[in-house]
Amino acid sequence: MKKFNALIAAAGLAGALAAGQAGAFELGVVAFQMSAETQARCANTVGAEAEKLGWTTQVLNSNGALETHASQLDNLIQKGVDGMILCMSKPVQFDAQFLAAKEAGIPVITISSGASPHTLFDVTPNEYVMASEAAVYLLGSMNFEGNVLLQKFESNTGARIRGEVTDVVLKENPQVKVLGEHSMARTKSWQDDVRNGMSALILQNAGNFQGIWASFDGQALIIDDILRESGLKKGDVSLVSIDGGQEVFARIKDPESMMTATVAIPFEDMAAKSVDMMKQIAVDGKDKADLVPGPYLFIPATLVDKTNVDQFLK
Amino acid sequence: MTLKKIVETYGTFLAGIVLFLFLIAFAPNFASTANLLNVLKQVSFLSILAFGFTFALISSELDLSFANVCSLSAVVIGFLISTEVAWPLAIVAGLATGIAAGLLNGFLVTVLKVPSLISTLGTASVANGLAFMITGGVAFVGRWDPDFLYLGRGKIGPVPVIILFTLAIFAVALVLSTQTRTGVHIQATGENEEAARRSGINTRGCKVLALTLSGLAAGLTAVFLVANLSSAAPQMAGDFMLNGIAATLLGMTMFTPAKANILGSFVGALIIVMLSNGLVLLGAQYYIQDIMLGIIIIASVAVSASVLKRAAFAL
Repeated sequence: MKKFNALIAAAGLAGALAAGQAGAFELGVVAFQMSAETQARCANTVGAEAEKLGWTTQVLNSNGALETHASQLDNLIQKGVDGMILCMSKPVQFDAQFLAAKEAGIPVITISSGASPHTLFDVTPNEYVMASEAAVYLLGSMNFEGNVLLQKFESNTGARIRGEVTDVVLKENPQVKVLGEHSMARTKSWQDDVRNGMSALILQNAGNFQGIWASFDGQALIIDDILRESGLKKGDVSLVSIDGGQEVFARIKDPESMMTATVAIPFEDMAAKSVDMMKQIAVDGKDKADLVPGPYLFIPATLVDKTNVDQFLK
Repeated sequence: MTLKKIVETYGTFLAGIVLFLFLIAFAPNFASTANLLNVLKQVSFLSILAFGFTFALISSELDLSFANVCSLSAVVIGFLISTEVAWPLAIVAGLATGIAAGLLNGFLVTVLKVPSLISTLGTASVANGLAFMITGGVAFVGRWDPDFLYLGRGKIGPVPVIILFTLAIFAVALVLSTQTRTGVHIQATGENEEAARRSGINTRGCKVLALTLSGLAAGLTAVFLVANLSSAAPQMAGDFMLNGIAATLLGMTMFTPAKANILGSFVGALIIVMLSNGLVLLGAQYYIQDIMLGIIIIASVAVSASVLKRAAFAL
């Protein structure tokens, strides 16, 4: 009897869910890897902004797995959502799903994913601009001389671009030498990977480097911990990265931390802009070309250091 | 057959049917032809991997390397295609990679007597390292030959071709495991290795074959994954590890209770994918799916614990 009652209750819940969904604009939100803070911020903000409009939202996490992401997109298409916003998706790998969404009349906006002929556009900062700002800032903080360590991440397009731009900046400034670099390979246990790789490099080159560049802030936070454990003090090493976030801002302000600067990507603004654009195009019927002429909607990012960090700290 | 026996033998299967009916009633669009085909397509990758793991379990061995071997095979295929090797050759190389990994597992288990729980974990680590070595951590991505992509994305009418491949593989695996002398020998080896050996069965050969079939299944899945996603990454099959084991354990709770079986693994995979699809259609948030999968694993392990323990602790 208890089992029967539980079944009835589950059925009622499902019915209520279905009834609650009727009528409202239904938005599917998929983040490729929500264990990355930036993607979680992106997806959660999209969900929150959409709910402010009274939309029904469903946030999915692909756990960094390609096939899971493809399945989730297929499922949302079959569900017949009214629109999809995807955080850090991959246009080439999911070309078939994007095409299927287009054929089903489902508008798709991507965030920091890259352009696709089957989506409306990609909302993104300009990785090349951000990367050059971070690299030049790092070298500037070292008076354009000395030695640096690099922490890269090749398997993410944005992070790879940042690394390549940094290489170009370093090539033009040969008085700054790269003592060593570690490339993060594992994506599921990346924190452990970064800690192991950079611990080894920092130990090997103790006292011989003045700067560290990390391809994203999650890596920089781990490196900062290692540097602090090594007994270094603020000013001993300049640590620069890209992404932004309250923890990074707090460390830039923290007199014990080596975190020197970051280029803050306004993920919340990008997410809010995506929802606003989806509303204008899918609900209000405005022409995409009038709003965003090309495949990208670039959002400016801001370099944050001790001089302006207070503006960003909440 | 008593009611208790019916529940033991068909309880999970009947629960799957109840779930199916529940989703038809309450999940919007679940019963549409397009969505049912979508579910069958999604179950393809998982079920083929689960078939391999099932063969290993039937022989009373564990293969914890299948997901990483699948990723390695995918990377080999992606590497060869991106260097403009003809895609049929790339497929052969991918399958050969899976078979080689399976043979290695078989060698470690039967010749070096390393318990499969440990040896396959070692193989998994080697496969993972090799995949990163080949890729440098960067996925092979491209708009590859449409003939190759057809294997993963093509359709005959409304039916994705991968469903047809999967059904064919399912039929072969089912017949091999239940209707052939080799299948019976593998089962006998798994149930009582000493008795099987004394009755003249080549138990070592059966275990090597079972683990090699698991490797072959990983290679086959890799072919379809790469063709479906037009890319190959070093950990692209990582998520299938837990789901593949869950599908097989769930399968052990039906048809031949407490014994790994191909039909059960297929239905187990179907239940997992159906649930995953249904939860999306019902509007459930992402964390609900992980919670549900965990509950399924715990429940199925509880029911099929005896055989699993025998496989895990036959050290």
